[in-house]
Amino acid sequence: MARARAEQQPSTGSTLVVLVGLGIAFLLFMAFLNVVKSGNVLNEANLLYASLIFYAGAGALYLGFGVTANESYVKFASFATWAGLLANTGAVLHRWYEAGHPPFASLYEMLLMFVWTLAALTLVAEKVYGVKVIGTVTMPVAIVGVVLMQLLRTDVRPLVPALQSTWLHVHVSLAMLAYAACALSFALSMMFLIQDKVQTETFLAGTSLFTAGIYAAILSRFEKWGGLSVIAWDAENRTEVFLSRGVRLFVTIPDLGWLMVIVFAATLAPLALYALGVWKKDEGFLATANRAVFVSILLQILALAFFLLRANNGQYSSLDADGVYATSLAASPFILSGLVGGIFANLLYLLLLWRRTDLERLLPDADALDRLTYKTICVAFPLLTLMIAAGAYWANRAWGSYWSWDPKETWAAITWLIYAGYLHMRITRGWRGRRAAYFAILGFAVVMFTFFGVTYLLPGLHAYA
Amino acid sequence: MALTLGSAPRKVWQTLSSIKTGVVLIILVVIFSAAGTVILQRPMTDPDDMQRAYSPDMLRFLDFTGLTDVYHTRWFIALLLLVSLSIIAASIERFPNSWRYYARPYKSPDASFRRVLATQVSIPILQEEQGLSAAERAFRKMGLRAERIVRPQSFSLFSERHRVSEMAVYIVHASLLLIFLGGIVDALWGWRGFIMLTPGSQTSAVELRTGATRTMPFELRCDGTGEEIYADGSPKRWWSKLAVVKNGRDVARKEISVNDPMVYRGVRFYQASYGRTGKIDRLILNVTPANDPKAQPREISLAMNQPVVLDADTSVEMTEFIPDYVVQDGHVYTRSNDVQNPAVHLVVTSQKTKKAVNVWFPEIPGFAENAASPYTFDPKDLKTGYYTGLQVSHEPGQWAVWAGVILMAIGLSFVFYIVHQRYWVVPVHDADTGAITLWIGGAANRNRDAFEHKFEKLVAEIKKELPAQARATRSVRTAQIAGK
Repeated sequence: MARARAEQQPSTGSTLVVLVGLGIAFLLFMAFLNVVKSGNVLNEANLLYASLIFYAGAGALYLGFGVTANESYVKFASFATWAGLLANTGAVLHRWYEAGHPPFASLYEMLLMFVWTLAALTLVAEKVYGVKVIGTVTMPVAIVGVVLMQLLRTDVRPLVPALQSTWLHVHVSLAMLAYAACALSFALSMMFLIQDKVQTETFLAGTSLFTAGIYAAILSRFEKWGGLSVIAWDAENRTEVFLSRGVRLFVTIPDLGWLMVIVFAATLAPLALYALGVWKKDEGFLATANRAVFVSILLQILALAFFLLRANNGQYSSLDADGVYATSLAASPFILSGLVGGIFANLLYLLLLWRRTDLERLLPDADALDRLTYKTICVAFPLLTLMIAAGAYWANRAWGSYWSWDPKETWAAITWLIYAGYLHMRITRGWRGRRAAYFAILGFAVVMFTFFGVTYLLPGLHAYA
Repeated sequence: MALTLGSAPRKVWQTLSSIKTGVVLIILVVIFSAAGTVILQRPMTDPDDMQRAYSPDMLRFLDFTGLTDVYHTRWFIALLLLVSLSIIAASIERFPNSWRYYARPYKSPDASFRRVLATQVSIPILQEEQGLSAAERAFRKMGLRAERIVRPQSFSLFSERHRVSEMAVYIVHASLLLIFLGGIVDALWGWRGFIMLTPGSQTSAVELRTGATRTMPFELRCDGTGEEIYADGSPKRWWSKLAVVKNGRDVARKEISVNDPMVYRGVRFYQASYGRTGKIDRLILNVTPANDPKAQPREISLAMNQPVVLDADTSVEMTEFIPDYVVQDGHVYTRSNDVQNPAVHLVVTSQKTKKAVNVWFPEIPGFAENAASPYTFDPKDLKTGYYTGLQVSHEPGQWAVWAGVILMAIGLSFVFYIVHQRYWVVPVHDADTGAITLWIGGAANRNRDAFEHKFEKLVAEIKKELPAQARATRSVRTAQIAGK
């Protein structure tokens, strides 16, 4: 295995470089077509598209750096990140100008700010703290963010009465800053785990668990009689179809549910093999587990492809209403981001599996990474606190109560408690290193659930975001 | 603190104040509050929806355990109280130590302390006083105030900054307790409810969330309400003009809108909703005499039960308004209060003949005698009434909450960004060789990287301040162990 890996390395390195080059060229070509078609160069969609390309390029270059250890990759990668950030800033300003208020009013606008903050913090981490490969983790997150934005409704809508408050801007900008800082602490703790020589197989188990979790969530929420329930989409008005106030109309895409079940089993397979390998103390199982990851990635890509083909502009019938209804990717952002996120997580694992033996040399030492994680949480935690406080004050003015146990509120409080737990364990119990890193990863998982999961899975007052 | 207690209470105390208990309690809070976001909650969810979502047995179980209203059950509140107690106990348990540290700073380090301190440097010097005064000058340059410590056995320098940082964590805990206190006060003495008013009406009754009614010691009157909409039809602003009436006198008045409530004596009124009442305000009609179709139509405006004279003999009165009519079994009913399918009933009376004609719009067969009316009516406009929905709340504890939030912001900035730094400078005589070295030590309670940097700068300053001949060629730097 070890020898095979050593032989594999140069080829994977150069293959990746070629792939990255081709990918960027393709995206640039597409962008060129896009600009020619619209005739308007500096509009928001183009700026966003440009930042997507640059972020994708930066992510690929960071990955290339991780694999080849060639310093020039980083130079180009941070250049691409700068360019992406610039385009992103342009998109933000354009939006601001168009809407007449800072872009905090819808999930689309918040994602725009989140991605911006994340890219900015990536550059800070790279320039100030010298964590060069951090982009391999943060850039994919940014890419998923920008891709999601393409699907959400982008038209500038006037602010409903409850949102007309200065506190909206205070609350949301604090939230975005805090969440981006949490994302950074997550990326740093991943780096730490690599540097701390956590066994690759442990990551295998983690990745497998994460992906299986995504599919379990999708299945439990959307699977229906072997089909997959998605929200019906009204293409004309660019909005979800509602049966009655607050009740969305679901249509069922037949057979897609079974595919999801198969993929769910495939994502569980590496985990089961890992558990078996640890239990039987047999290395052979772990090698099989790695092969199972490949199978699961292929199946996941298949699931994504089928989902894209069938959910985009299809016509399906519903159990709750007569007739057929159209669907659109825009109506199922949760499923889509779940599928894409799962594939990304698995690809990151592949990067780890094929990593150079001297990847450790390229990172700051484990101790420094550990302290950096702590420092970013020291920034994130007060921001989270202020975000919740500003939200409470605003809720008191708009809804008549500073705390209503709305799901978003409750989950924000849970996030706060988890980071408070991290700080207590670290300060009073001296938790350092691996345990602290796992804690930080858990914290970020909860942050992401609060941001996306609550919006799409749990109903509540925070309907606009 | 706990030493005087008997063994059982002592054990309880120790369990309560331990960090393990705190973490277990927090995990429980997390689990149950997360459960509350997944399980449908009363009273927000419609009872029918609850029954649709869960089987009867499941629902009975959830209701019995309180899982359908997690945040207001006794056991959840007890859990939050336990968390507060645990914070209090942990703070009390640890406070005396911190206070000692705070109140009596360690100024004159002894030999064993000097040996183990992580950040330290020794510089050979010729004279004790020379070294100390050089250090003093260096401190001054760095903006630190140095203090000469004179002890029977030793003579040294001590300097520190931001000692309050050691107390910051108690500020944070106190602020959290203050927020909890506010929450408890509101849970016990606060209330929330709803008032629906139409322009011109007034009430002192608030419909509480529990279904009960609460009477305020004053009345609230609505002087007008309205809506502004965007070009695309979505609402832009809802407003209501409110007045508080006490003993028949207006004591407060304000135009409120969403995000801008009115407060009177601790009771807050928020604009929550706005809509049609389903009651008619005015009906505008064109009237023409039936026997003279060429006559100029006349416009009249009818209000409910207020007759309007049409000529010397005839008058018309609106007697019924049905917002959403349906005809069944020979009666006219209304389905809802939404103005969906309105019908009006007019009565045209003649004084001479004492004859009354029923006119209906629309002409409902079997009820309408429109053809027999001496006048024909042509309805032009229907003005329905609007109501304003007001959220009313009384939260006497909220000031504790806001004070807690501000205190927490201060506490957290102290915890994370204010570092307690200490520096000691001690001239040390070597008993064997008779040589003198200047021992410089430093300690910080957090952010050790930045502190070490600062410490190195201080040492460099001191070296610069030492007279050239006093500076020895070699400076001994003991091992530094990186802190956190």
